[in-house]
Amino acid sequence: MPLFLYTLALRDFLRPRRIVVWILVALSLLALGLVWRSVYAGSPREDYASLSSIFVFRLIALSSAIFATAIVTQEVEQKTIVYLLTRPIPRWQLLASRMLAAATVVFGVTVLAILATSIAIYGFRFGSNPLLVNDLKAAAVGSLAYVSLFTMFTLVINRAMVVCLIYAFLWEVGIPNFSGDLFYTSIFSYLQAIAEHPALPTQQMLVSALAGQGGDAALVAGTAWPVLLILIGSLTGLAMWWFTHFEYVPREDAE
Amino acid sequence: MKPIVELRNASRWYGQVMGLNDVTCQIGPGITALLGQNGAGKSTMMRLITGQLRTTTGEVLVGGMQPFANPEVYKLLGYCPEIDNFYEYMTGRQFVQNLARLAGLSPERAKSRTQEVLEIVGMADRCDRKIAGYSKGMRQRIKLAQAMLHDPQIILLDEPLNGLDPVGRRDYMDLLGYLADQGKGIVVSSHILFEVEQLTRSILLLHRGRLLATGDIRVIRELIDKHPHRIRIETPDPRAFAQNLVGLPYVLSVEVTAEGLELRTREPGMFYDALPALIVDHGLRIDGLWSPDNNLESVFRYLVEA
Repeated sequence: MPLFLYTLALRDFLRPRRIVVWILVALSLLALGLVWRSVYAGSPREDYASLSSIFVFRLIALSSAIFATAIVTQEVEQKTIVYLLTRPIPRWQLLASRMLAAATVVFGVTVLAILATSIAIYGFRFGSNPLLVNDLKAAAVGSLAYVSLFTMFTLVINRAMVVCLIYAFLWEVGIPNFSGDLFYTSIFSYLQAIAEHPALPTQQMLVSALAGQGGDAALVAGTAWPVLLILIGSLTGLAMWWFTHFEYVPREDAE
Repeated sequence: MKPIVELRNASRWYGQVMGLNDVTCQIGPGITALLGQNGAGKSTMMRLITGQLRTTTGEVLVGGMQPFANPEVYKLLGYCPEIDNFYEYMTGRQFVQNLARLAGLSPERAKSRTQEVLEIVGMADRCDRKIAGYSKGMRQRIKLAQAMLHDPQIILLDEPLNGLDPVGRRDYMDLLGYLADQGKGIVVSSHILFEVEQLTRSILLLHRGRLLATGDIRVIRELIDKHPHRIRIETPDPRAFAQNLVGLPYVLSVEVTAEGLELRTREPGMFYDALPALIVDHGLRIDGLWSPDNNLESVFRYLVEA
């Protein structure tokens, strides 16, 4: 049953009307990378790291916000949730399968973006890109982390999309650049640690800030991995418990 | 007969707003109509039974189990919601077949069962089109198909007759009769009283969240005999007819109208028994005879006003 739930949700998320935009956004990084190379012309490693931090990692957060909203909120707003909740399926299975499907799609979109960026900088010589494998690892764990966090938002907050987008853009862009320990509250900081992106030249302040390197973040992959895995596990567990114990009825019927 | 659904002092509040108030009742096999005006609490009761909502106080049992988020309960019940929303990009067959899989059927069984239920609801020849292009009647049929997929003991239908044309209503009611004949419990919520009257005599009457009356419509009618019963007679000579009626002890009043006359009585049975002799003895002629109170609408009105 969980496998069928997963494939059913995956088919829904991969409908052409829904996915084409994301594929185009991911592939647009190829053109953006070529422009970037002609403007900045730094070392390939720095250019790739800048593009990845500024665009690819933001795409993980943005697409997670959109697809996490589709897991429950969209069903509630479209009033189709009733068909799912009146089937003999434990609610936690329903939620977990849909979360995994959403994370899969986010990961797929991000992989496309990573490959497009790599092609723009290194051509088709993927072996020449020293950051590629770490970026793929960060994309995988990042997809799960953002989807679990945003799913929790959607379960608890009405109109959660706005909150998810604020977190994805304002919080995740701003917080890693603050001095002090606030960077611990940003998933982006942990993903940067896993990706092990090089420090960017300090004279490029704007690029450095957009890439989230303006603060005191001093995380290492050895810390980031367990923290994110615990975060994913606890948020997913909490979301499953919440979804099982609280009411979800079609939006305009909820009083 | 053992009830499938049982409500024990079930109440549900939405903050300060009362949805259902201290309702106790049992529902067994056969067709039961859940009647009430908009806002009476019908949908709340349906959602409590289908485990979408929890009771604030009291309890709801389906097959002896608490229904909220309980997969075991969903094996026993099918639910046809009032909402008209679907996954519009799917065909009717895809929609029903996917829900069959979610009901726990194997891929092969889901396929064959989908075909079976689509044939039962009369959609087998039209189910390969996208739902987005379906008429209201086709949507109602598809909703019923998905509710009966897993052969549940009880099927709850929230306002299933809404938006159906007269032929569609008749077909749909025949279908519900067929399911009831199979031994299923069928609960139909509606505010279209004359249609429900054709469907069943077993009712649960809700008003402002309270269960106002329950049981056989005929028994309920007997309880309201303090309310005068109106009878309209079409006759070419209403004044002569009225002259012979006013002397009858069980006739309370007679009013001459454009088409004939309307009388009020507390003993409609006695009046109907006496009418043939009255016509023959006095050489009266009638072209039509009917009562505006001889339907569920009047029962509903009397009870609500009381």
